[in-house]
Amino acid sequence: MSEDWLTGPVLEQLNSGVLVVDEHLQLVYLNSFLQRHSSVQLSEVKGKSLFQVFTDVPEAWLRRKFASVLELQSPSFSSWEQRQYIIKLPHLRPVTSSSQYMAQNCTMLPLKDPAGRRYVCLLIEDATDAFVYQQHLQTTLEKLELSNRIDGLTQALNRRYWEDQLKLEVQRSQRYQQPLSLLLFDLDKFKQLNDQYGHLGGDSVLIELTARVRALLRDTDWFGRYGGEEFGIVLTNTALAGAIEVAERICLAVNSTAVTFHEQSIATSVSIGVAQLDAAGDRAHEVLIGQADIALYNAKREGRNRVVSFSEGETEFLLKAN
Amino acid sequence: MSTVFSEEQRDCLQELINVAMGLASDKLARFLNTFVHLQVPAIELVSSAQIPAQFEARYSNTEAALVSQGFLGNDGLRGEAIVLYQLDNAHRIAALLGYDTDSASELEMLTDISSILTTTFLNGLADQIDNSLSYSAPRVLSSRQTNVSQALQETAFHWELALKVDISYQLIDHSFNCDMLLLIPGEAVSNIQHILDRILEEY
Repeated sequence: MSEDWLTGPVLEQLNSGVLVVDEHLQLVYLNSFLQRHSSVQLSEVKGKSLFQVFTDVPEAWLRRKFASVLELQSPSFSSWEQRQYIIKLPHLRPVTSSSQYMAQNCTMLPLKDPAGRRYVCLLIEDATDAFVYQQHLQTTLEKLELSNRIDGLTQALNRRYWEDQLKLEVQRSQRYQQPLSLLLFDLDKFKQLNDQYGHLGGDSVLIELTARVRALLRDTDWFGRYGGEEFGIVLTNTALAGAIEVAERICLAVNSTAVTFHEQSIATSVSIGVAQLDAAGDRAHEVLIGQADIALYNAKREGRNRVVSFSEGETEFLLKAN
Repeated sequence: MSTVFSEEQRDCLQELINVAMGLASDKLARFLNTFVHLQVPAIELVSSAQIPAQFEARYSNTEAALVSQGFLGNDGLRGEAIVLYQLDNAHRIAALLGYDTDSASELEMLTDISSILTTTFLNGLADQIDNSLSYSAPRVLSSRQTNVSQALQETAFHWELALKVDISYQLIDHSFNCDMLLLIPGEAVSNIQHILDRILEEY
């Protein structure tokens, strides 16, 4: 064929690696792409064992692959998704990729020369782009999952996610017979504060408040924004006395230091209702929220900036009053 | 376009497949260093719409793997080969191939096994009709969280005709069953019919 001259130049300029070994897995050929990427000269390595030249390839695995290609005379494949690379090579995207090495899609093909001798051709395609996109997708999905459960302004959990966690913790507490308590708290006179300092002032108080509260909690507690200026905290493995103690500390942390906004000091306080899980059944979490809410109402009524815990007697009274 | 094969064409295809299976089992036996007995595969031509229903029952109670590999030859021969097998079978043959679970992931074993089965068989088929095939990398369509019939439905959707080949390998100490599906697009079906007619004329 008169186009035979094509193969050489094309092979040399191909943007993929081409490597050929004989039946004894000794190197017969490397194209420029591979020589350049691995800083190896064909003239220096021709006839040497593949594993002597590329010392960090997975030898047992690759021997098995090559054996199947030679024996079965059928191709074999390797994808970057399962094995990121076969031969460690630098890639040409040093800035945009977090990975140090080229991700590779590899094909191992059976070859025979005119005399019938058998060879294996290893084709290495650069899949770093796909690898990078996959990683971007992964981090994006993680961020999305996070933003799906937190409140944008305060970074506390959003109501939906927080309520889900409350339900789960209530079930866990019932199953393992561990105490569980709930705090519901509300920023006192928030409407007045908004009127006086504007909504930005109100927002900055909410942000500062959440930060102070979070500093007082354990990793196992669930802190969420329940409504506008209302928050909830699920205290796992905590009985009423412990919950009241935490609530008192929160009250103090909020009230003891004013929030600074545009060089103005804004004095704030919170009212907190506390209840311990007592009810059984599927709607136990709703009963618990109801009880903490009643205690919170009482804290407001008794003059704000205080902690009130729920007790059975008051329910009756309040429910009637409502 | 007619996707109906004449009786002669069908017999011819069955014969080609029998021989291809024989060649494949011979190669596999040498490679695995064990005797491979192979039953004569039953072939069936079905419209691809029927495919999910046909396999749902067999794979509904077990964890199954579904691996796809595209093939492309001369004379307009092309399609997609799908190998279906049960995962506990996969682990048996993986051990035979010399895999230990430390050095290769399950997905890697699945693709390797099905690629070996597919390419040895199809190469044998291609040899007999003076064709040669190239293959795309194998891709796992589903494993573990399996809904086999749904995965099949999504895949079969693109194809007009399916050639169902029921393969059953019997190794000395192991038995291994799998199903192979060759999904073939409409224009390739008539190309195959031409190839078959050509072979029939030569005899």
